[in-house]
Amino acid sequence: MTAAPDTPATPQLPQPLNHPPLDEINFAHASERVAAEILDFYRINWLYEPKTFPLEWDGKGNVIVSFSPDFYLVDFDLYIELTTMSQKLVTKKNRKVRRLKELYPDVNIRIFYQKDFRALLARFGMATTPVAHANGGGVLPAETNKQE
Amino acid sequence: MDTPLPQICDGIVIDQAAIQRRVAELGVQIAEEFAGQDLRLVTVLKGGLFFLADLCRACETQLAIDFLAVSQYSAGVGGMVRVTKDLSDDIAGASVVLVEDVVDTGLTVNYVYSLLKAHGPARLEVCTLLDKPSRRIADVPITYTGFTLPDRFVVGYGLDVRGRYRNLPYVASVKEEAIFS
Repeated sequence: MTAAPDTPATPQLPQPLNHPPLDEINFAHASERVAAEILDFYRINWLYEPKTFPLEWDGKGNVIVSFSPDFYLVDFDLYIELTTMSQKLVTKKNRKVRRLKELYPDVNIRIFYQKDFRALLARFGMATTPVAHANGGGVLPAETNKQE
Repeated sequence: MDTPLPQICDGIVIDQAAIQRRVAELGVQIAEEFAGQDLRLVTVLKGGLFFLADLCRACETQLAIDFLAVSQYSAGVGGMVRVTKDLSDDIAGASVVLVEDVVDTGLTVNYVYSLLKAHGPARLEVCTLLDKPSRRIADVPITYTGFTLPDRFVVGYGLDVRGRYRNLPYVASVKEEAIFS
């Protein structure tokens, strides 16, 4: 009789996802929901806009400019800012991220641009289509951007 | 005969000779560092297939190869990454090198690394032909790197765009309009 092949059992990995259901999160842009889906898919623990960093204060000490990065990746202690918007807004965000790094040098943050997002989707074999300016601009996977 | 550059590409980033040289160097290094150990080279289908095939022949030591395949994200479908083809052999107690074509965001390799770790190898290292650290999300430890690349979308030597161009013997950059069309 032939012995059974020595195939290993697939180990079970923990299933993180300690965030509310995606439908209950008020994402500022549809691309952020896609990013959340991708992080979920790869079992990355994330929180959506969990912290607001004050960046500028007036003479009385009131915060006049602050910044809330889109995602915090718990296991990597990394903030992610996703920007798929117009160049004008990208410049503004770049400035905020730069200021955040100056004021909070221990905070790890990475900014992802529209080009990065499109390249990531392209690696998944997914085409992207532009989103109307009125709907926030940027791009989305063609499969999820079927506008009626 | 030289393989012509596909129309979607705008230049060769790493030519065939440079790849061969670097893969040979990595093979020697891995063979030395794992001498006498139960060495397994494991890759993730399909991209790592080409690098693994050359790397294992450059490792002048006894080793075994194995393959994994994992599902790919698809927009709006939900769910989580899962193994679609698991290892054929038990790696518990073995010395494993996870061979990757590219580490970009690190999302896939982070998952596969955790999965292999859960199999209980005595040693687990990552070897990637290409490292693109500028877009890293999941910071995985990489022991062996062939080439570090800037943030360019590349194909060839295992890397594809929509399933094509894996068989190019070099690594070439892709025109933006070809990626984003």
